[in-house]
Amino acid sequence: MLAQVIFYALAALTVGSAALVAFSRNIVYSTFALLGAFMGAVGIYILLAADFVAMVQLLVYVGGILVLTIFAVMLTAGIGDVKVSNRAVGTGPAIIVAGVAAIVMLYAVMRTQWHQAAVFTPAPTTYAIGNAFLGDYVLPFEVASLVLLAALIGAIVISRHEVRE
Amino acid sequence: MHTLIQNLIAWGVFGKNPPRDLVAAIVVFVMSLIVFLVVALPFGGIVTWVERRVWARIQSRVGPNRVGPQGFLQWLADGIKIICKEDIIPDEADSRLFKLAPYLVMLAFILPWAVMPFSSSLILADLNVGILYMTAVTALTVVGVLMAGWASNNKWSLIGGVRSAAQIVSYEIPAGLSIFPVVLMTGTLSMQGIIRGQGWAPQHWFLFANPFTFVAANILYMSSLAEANRTPFDLPEAESELVAGFATEYSGWRYACFSMAEWGNLFIVGAIITTLFLGGWQFPHVTNNVVAMNVLEVITFTVKVLFLVFVSMWIRATLPRVRIDQLTTACWKYFVPISFVNMIGTAVWVAIWPDGNVAIGYIMFAGAIVFGAVFIQRVIYYLRRSRMEVYLNPTI
Amino acid sequence: MSAVSEYVHNIKDTVSTIFEGMAVTASHFMRKPYTVQYPDRMPVRVQDTLPFRYRGILDVDLEICTGCLACERACPIDCIVIVAEKDQQTRQLLLSQFDIDIAKCMYCGLCSEVCPTGSIHHTTEFEGADYSLESLIRRFVQDPVMAYKAKKGPETDPRIAPILNRGMAYLDQWAQPGGEKPPGEEPA
Repeated sequence: MLAQVIFYALAALTVGSAALVAFSRNIVYSTFALLGAFMGAVGIYILLAADFVAMVQLLVYVGGILVLTIFAVMLTAGIGDVKVSNRAVGTGPAIIVAGVAAIVMLYAVMRTQWHQAAVFTPAPTTYAIGNAFLGDYVLPFEVASLVLLAALIGAIVISRHEVRE
Repeated sequence: MHTLIQNLIAWGVFGKNPPRDLVAAIVVFVMSLIVFLVVALPFGGIVTWVERRVWARIQSRVGPNRVGPQGFLQWLADGIKIICKEDIIPDEADSRLFKLAPYLVMLAFILPWAVMPFSSSLILADLNVGILYMTAVTALTVVGVLMAGWASNNKWSLIGGVRSAAQIVSYEIPAGLSIFPVVLMTGTLSMQGIIRGQGWAPQHWFLFANPFTFVAANILYMSSLAEANRTPFDLPEAESELVAGFATEYSGWRYACFSMAEWGNLFIVGAIITTLFLGGWQFPHVTNNVVAMNVLEVITFTVKVLFLVFVSMWIRATLPRVRIDQLTTACWKYFVPISFVNMIGTAVWVAIWPDGNVAIGYIMFAGAIVFGAVFIQRVIYYLRRSRMEVYLNPTI
Repeated sequence: MSAVSEYVHNIKDTVSTIFEGMAVTASHFMRKPYTVQYPDRMPVRVQDTLPFRYRGILDVDLEICTGCLACERACPIDCIVIVAEKDQQTRQLLLSQFDIDIAKCMYCGLCSEVCPTGSIHHTTEFEGADYSLESLIRRFVQDPVMAYKAKKGPETDPRIAPILNRGMAYLDQWAQPGGEKPPGEEPA
């Protein structure tokens, strides 16, 4: 009962903030509203007993990505002029596409046989995640880090000084 | 905390057959309030008084000593004064974000207290991702600071906020990497687990476990100072350039929120270092009385933390503010690579000696004592050279 | 190779300089503060440590004032107001007003220089803060008093003699810029 109340509160926070991100006329408001969306996601992770994922979400998304986004927005020239950046274009076709997508998704949600967890046991997940990363999924894990390495090198190439003799 | 609640229920403090979840929730809530109101908030105030006294003595002054015994109530007087000030919101400011920002900063200051390991049983929540939680929630400060900087609609505020963001985001990397050596050695992220992995004696602390952890402790301390916007890394509020940085336009209660969080963060910095490297609350088992043991442990923990807080004041009185390029150079060229070396070195060390190497602990502790002796010898040299009157009495 | 040695050298430099700096501040931490906790926590009042010739707030010894008005004339900003007139019956000079506006006074010392008896003189008192300008006007004459008349030979009145001695010593000091100590007056 309590868990349900908390879940709906968190869901409202996440969806509400996400809506603010999408509909706000002011890009800075959109960026700060991301905080609410991320925090809602953290709450839902905690509710699902995914403690490690929740903390990493907080550390990476709030501490890193959100801050970098805000940083980028603030370095943009003339924040005041960007107020109309989110103006909707092509409203008619968009409503049709979104409506069709919504019907398909609702249909899928209704038809799926949802798996119900029988017993809810909050247990530490860090060991399991670590073992999975360096055991069964070591190859995808390393490939993903290669992508990051490529991004890193790309950033250095873009930002480095050309030294001409 | 959980066992404490179970015991309280078993002793019948809440009557027969109370609703367990509700009672647990209420107890945790009340305990959080107590920790926050009795420890966190007054600490943020009292430390301002201590800092002013310490600075004053280093600068051959006296410092505030009029309000209460030795000026101890100065923080209360300042607090009452600042709350009575007019709460100004500039016309051109974005008033909604302007009002929200101090509370975000305050939130980032309050949340870490949930995993503060005061003693073996006094901890609000011994999360099994405790240290990760600690670093994650302290990172929330930066959102509040950026919000304040932008909402003030003031160039100084904005520059202060952006500087703070750049600083905190980059110093989070060496700080995070310096936590890993300890996690590698204990195999846990829980605060209590990390403390239980150490002993009460200095040679069993992780500070002296191997050379890599010693370096990691120093890097973590410096990075934490940078994240807490302390001198020599206080560029976001460099008063000679930016007036007061992101807090320029704030006054009254909202300004008090900022400054309280800033000073209170010193305790959190000290607590992180104490937990990870200085043995936390570990105290030799001298009595079987649980309450007495807990009191001793709380005292041990607090003394260690306060020592680190004192060191940060001492650093603030010693070092000048670094330039912004020096700040980023120190982080990216020195702290980050050395942190990686620490991590790999510790991993190799743990692979060679899975149970630790006690002899190294003794050797490093002896080295630290020699270092301290050399330091004291230098201090005596400077005292002799200046032929000044030595006055060790803290009261004046 | 030089890059590596420079890197290590930088780290060594940082550590050693911070070490020395911390030692210096630690030694300062153990020194006695210089601060003088004026006004209430001092071993001696500040007024008692000031020299005899210190130009503080003006004071007048009415017992030895001759009513010559030299000070009133000497004052460049007219902060001294004296009313002195001959009493018709006793044929003596009667002082009915002697006001000094301390708010205007600029402590130039011209009045005390010209005084023949050292009646008007600076004190070592300097704490003149008050809540109104009105109260800064010092009124020395409450009831009209007789002006002092210099006698031929030394002063004999035991009441006036010490005051006159002090006044003359004060004048001597003004006359001697070297600042010899007046007899019997040892500044603390």
